[in-house]
Amino acid sequence: MYKNVLEVKNLTKKFGNFTAVDNTSFEIREGEILGLLGPNGAGKTTTIQMLLGIMHQSNGEINYFGTSFKKHRSAILKRINFSSAYIDLPKLLTIDEVLKVFAYLYEIPDKEKRINKLLKEFEIEHLRKKAIHTLSAGERARLLLTKAFINYPEIILLDEPTSSLDPEIAVKIRGFLKKEKKEYGVSILLTSHNMQEVEEMCDRIIVLHHGKIIAENSPHNLTKTLSNSRIELIVENKLELENFLKNNNIKFQRDNSIFTIDIKEKHISKLLAQMAAEKIEYQDISINKPDLEDYFLDVIERGNK
Amino acid sequence: MINFNRVSAMVYRYTMNLRHNFDRLTDMFYWPALDLFTWGLTGLYFAKLSPQSSNATVIILTGVIFWIVIWRAQYEITTNLLSEMWDRNLVNIFMSPLTVPEWILSVMIFGFTKMIISVLFSAFLAFFFYGYHIFAYGYYIIPLVLSLLITGWVAGFFVAGFIIRYGTKIQTTAWVGVSLIAPFSALYYPVSALPKWAQDIAIFVPSSYIFENMRQVLLAGTISYNGLIISFALNFVYLFLSIIFFVWMFKKSLNLGLGRLI
Repeated sequence: MYKNVLEVKNLTKKFGNFTAVDNTSFEIREGEILGLLGPNGAGKTTTIQMLLGIMHQSNGEINYFGTSFKKHRSAILKRINFSSAYIDLPKLLTIDEVLKVFAYLYEIPDKEKRINKLLKEFEIEHLRKKAIHTLSAGERARLLLTKAFINYPEIILLDEPTSSLDPEIAVKIRGFLKKEKKEYGVSILLTSHNMQEVEEMCDRIIVLHHGKIIAENSPHNLTKTLSNSRIELIVENKLELENFLKNNNIKFQRDNSIFTIDIKEKHISKLLAQMAAEKIEYQDISINKPDLEDYFLDVIERGNK
Repeated sequence: MINFNRVSAMVYRYTMNLRHNFDRLTDMFYWPALDLFTWGLTGLYFAKLSPQSSNATVIILTGVIFWIVIWRAQYEITTNLLSEMWDRNLVNIFMSPLTVPEWILSVMIFGFTKMIISVLFSAFLAFFFYGYHIFAYGYYIIPLVLSLLITGWVAGFFVAGFIIRYGTKIQTTAWVGVSLIAPFSALYYPVSALPKWAQDIAIFVPSSYIFENMRQVLLAGTISYNGLIISFALNFVYLFLSIIFFVWMFKKSLNLGLGRLI
């Protein structure tokens, strides 16, 4: 049975009359990667700030490892960490100096060993004497992750961790996160606008909209709720296909000779069979199953209605 | 309970920042030296103008050097807080196990050390160029400096309270905040030289008793213990209130989220 390492109950944040986070409840299990998705202004950053103890909630409860965050703040903060593309580190200090500061703040027993291991892991070992302000965006993002893992966190909150990384490094980082999860049972709360990354990494996703959770499930199950697939057909006889689709009341979009049809997966074979019967030939066909991005756009659209 | 590992982590962070920061090194040595030359020469000129003003240099140098104590103590608290905001590091430190009292202690220790260095540097220059001997105060110098240090911390925590609440948009207060009390501290003149309304305010300004005392020690060789006690009493009350104010403003800031300040 999974153990919950973080439990959020009825979390609410109000700014005057505006409710940024509205009575949300969720949990993260040990060794689970939970994606927190939502459009800008959905309440993701506000939720993360409350989870880090840098914003007071108006209502609700946050419990880490079965204990109240409010009552055991320092002890809990020793066991969690955070990295974001929107924060930075002291610009004038070198990598070595910055990591030493955080190693002391978190009271790491084997400081040098831990710093060396992480610097090697994130491939920035050769930069350790360089000042932070001289680092590239990618190097800085890797340093922020190094800082975030310095205290052997049991839960780590990552806000767009790979947004400024080149694809090769981003793949390595994702690999590192998966390894931490697998080998050490680290739980991760991940926000990202990269839906492929979320789909690849997350065991479960919650979607926030207007401060409320509007969906919660595994990426696979969420995308399964979208029944429509997208077919793109390139035909020579455009008029023939257009008339066929209109006569059969099938909705489509046309861009010159490319026809785009959103159709339920189970009806695809029937459609193609009908086209064959009408002797409508296509030069090219592609069938795209809905992915997380489609789901995200769909659920937000529904949420807006 | 205070964790000294975390306190020393922050002291180390600010020390390394000082080591790499030309601006911070400048304000540690350049401004005190410049003040000392400008005001020291002014004092010498007044002394030449009138024989009755023969003590002008000593009085002015006393004011300059000991104002550094207050200024330095205030400045370190506010600029170190601001440096976390400029570096977008505020979230990193306050989402770590570091507590507010630990941060307060770290800036007090760091500020105290920098103040000692600045004052010793200024004292050396004053001795070298004007023959002014800071240790002429004997052991009196310890309570006098200590009281001024606390006044600086009081100003620092009040200003830091506003900064943690309103952010960098009011960062100018980090430089000018403490100067509000300068006219009432009677740095270069006795409290009696102030207009009546200002004298009434000076009664509540702890540093006014210290600067009066310094002149008394230098010119008459005596110290007013009453003045010293009043100064410390006021300082401890104000220090308590200023820390409460800072913590209160910090909590108010937490209502809005520290993330907005990075």
